[in-house]
Amino acid sequence: MSAPLLEAKKVSIHFGGLKAVSEFSLEVRQGDLQGLIGPNGAGKTTAFNVLTGVYRPSEGEVRVCGERVNGKRPFAINRLGLARTFQNVRLFKELSVLDNVRVAVLPERRPVFDDARVQRLKRAGGVPGVLGAALDAANDYREWWRAFLRTPGFLAQEQGVTRKADELLGVMGLTHRRDELAKNLPYGEQRRLEIARALGTRPKVLLLDEPAAGMNTREKADLMVLIRALREQFSLGILLIEHDMKLVMGICEHLTVLDHGETIATGLPAEVRANPKVVEAYLGEAPAHG
Amino acid sequence: MRSLAPVAVAIVALALLQWLLRDAEYAVYLMTRVGVWVILAVSLNIVNGMTGQFSIGHAGFMAVGAYSSSLLTIFLDEYRVGFLPAALTDQLFFVLALAVGGVMAGLFGFLVGLPSLRLKGDYLAIVTLGFGEIIRVVLTNLNVIGAGGKTVVEGALGMSSIPPYTSFFSVWFGVFVVVLLAKRLAASSHGRWLLAIREDEVAAEAMGVDTTAYKVRAFVVSSFFAGVAGGLFAHFLRAINPNSFTFVESMQVVVMIVAGGLGSTTGAVVAATVLVLLPEGLRTLFLQLGGADQSLAQKVDQVRMPIYGLLLVVIMLTRPQGIFGSTEAWDWFSRRRAKGGGAKA
Repeated sequence: MSAPLLEAKKVSIHFGGLKAVSEFSLEVRQGDLQGLIGPNGAGKTTAFNVLTGVYRPSEGEVRVCGERVNGKRPFAINRLGLARTFQNVRLFKELSVLDNVRVAVLPERRPVFDDARVQRLKRAGGVPGVLGAALDAANDYREWWRAFLRTPGFLAQEQGVTRKADELLGVMGLTHRRDELAKNLPYGEQRRLEIARALGTRPKVLLLDEPAAGMNTREKADLMVLIRALREQFSLGILLIEHDMKLVMGICEHLTVLDHGETIATGLPAEVRANPKVVEAYLGEAPAHG
Repeated sequence: MRSLAPVAVAIVALALLQWLLRDAEYAVYLMTRVGVWVILAVSLNIVNGMTGQFSIGHAGFMAVGAYSSSLLTIFLDEYRVGFLPAALTDQLFFVLALAVGGVMAGLFGFLVGLPSLRLKGDYLAIVTLGFGEIIRVVLTNLNVIGAGGKTVVEGALGMSSIPPYTSFFSVWFGVFVVVLLAKRLAASSHGRWLLAIREDEVAAEAMGVDTTAYKVRAFVVSSFFAGVAGGLFAHFLRAINPNSFTFVESMQVVVMIVAGGLGSTTGAVVAATVLVLLPEGLRTLFLQLGGADQSLAQKVDQVRMPIYGLLLVVIMLTRPQGIFGSTEAWDWFSRRRAKGGGAKA
């Protein structure tokens, strides 16, 4: 069995006195297609936000590709290989469809101060924070300078980014919308664009927050096929939050059920569906007298 | 090499224009003022329009650039590069001074930006406003005695007898550089990251954009150009004092980019040009209306500033997104070209 790409160990988060999520554990490996379900307000999105670094876990540990990410900023966690979409679509509305994806695609650059070396030195404590930041800044300003001069290397780099973005638009069936503004897309396509954008960051694990919300039955069916195909094509591990039980049961191979921040069940869809706690959480307590 | 062609064209065109305008003193005066404000507007637009951070202390960075570059040219005034003619030496020192002024302003931009760009919206605006005021107050109380006991900076009286190095060419070459940077940046990954921060900071961060770092980067580059504009301004007026860099000046730049359309470099250029020329244009118009009766002309002249204000109100009421919205002139050209190509194919 391969090592887990995303690992949460007894993660809890509280806001003041409120425990939003407690002792949440999870492992996502390459090729997994897991679901995170639960009634409204169960803490699913909060769990996503902890995994992606929007919130810092109060207790427990999150690891991405083996590296502990507690307290790391979301952008750094993304660079380690964890990408996400949002429950209420958060596209860059005034940018074109193509640019939305291009933002996410990291150019293959040749920095003056080799990124990998800077990272290694930083980790080894060899470069103090200030110097590390200065090296990062020097790298970035060099990129601005190259953009200003439009050097051949820069143009090739831009072409690479555009090619990659076009490829992803093709995969998500959005090529015909390439030059439109993101805000002018119909809702279903906006959701697909969010997935394309997340794929632009070359993730190893993809977190989808209610990818089918607001879609009609036909679109949902297409999306299920698409998500499966993405897993194969990009060798991803996928974790998705979904309300639509039919979709979840049809597509996911492993489920985690949250209710009031507690994990009340985990396992195969069939097991979870038969679990009385889950039925209770969704339908309310069974009447005491038959 | 094709990417450097615009630079060569600009140099030739500007040199030609400078030669053509050699006798039109008033026109050169106006165009120089316009140019300085265009640099300020376009550079502020990188922060306020492209990155979506609301900064209203641009005059502070301009002041840093103006003072530090003037100090350097006054200091270097006594030196010569042996084998070069005097005029060329001066221009060489001037370029050096502008660079130093820009770097100093950029340094201040970094110092202000690092802590304050964690703040958003109104809070950031207040910090930048405060910074602008601090600079002005410090300059008001600044005295610098040069070598030989000569007072170089004299508190509220500022600096005088700055060498007149600024020419039509240097100002508009500065305009050209900052516009080209804004245009080309917007078409690069780093520029798109700035736009992404403006559109949705949370999403940008989730897509791997180091939002804090890029906000600071934008702020520093914007301040750099404000510093260069300050240097050009100082060597054009030849005398500067802290009152040249008040909150009113900062707001004037903000007004320009808002009226032109936040995020549109074209808008910043057009609005800065119109808003600098408008009071002058209205003056000429009213003086002519008054005809021979100069006292009437004087009276009519007094209503030109309210008219200026009224025009701004009308722009904002009829086009809240600014004259150009977020569109660029060069987008129209490329779109037309794309359409033409499509028709042929």
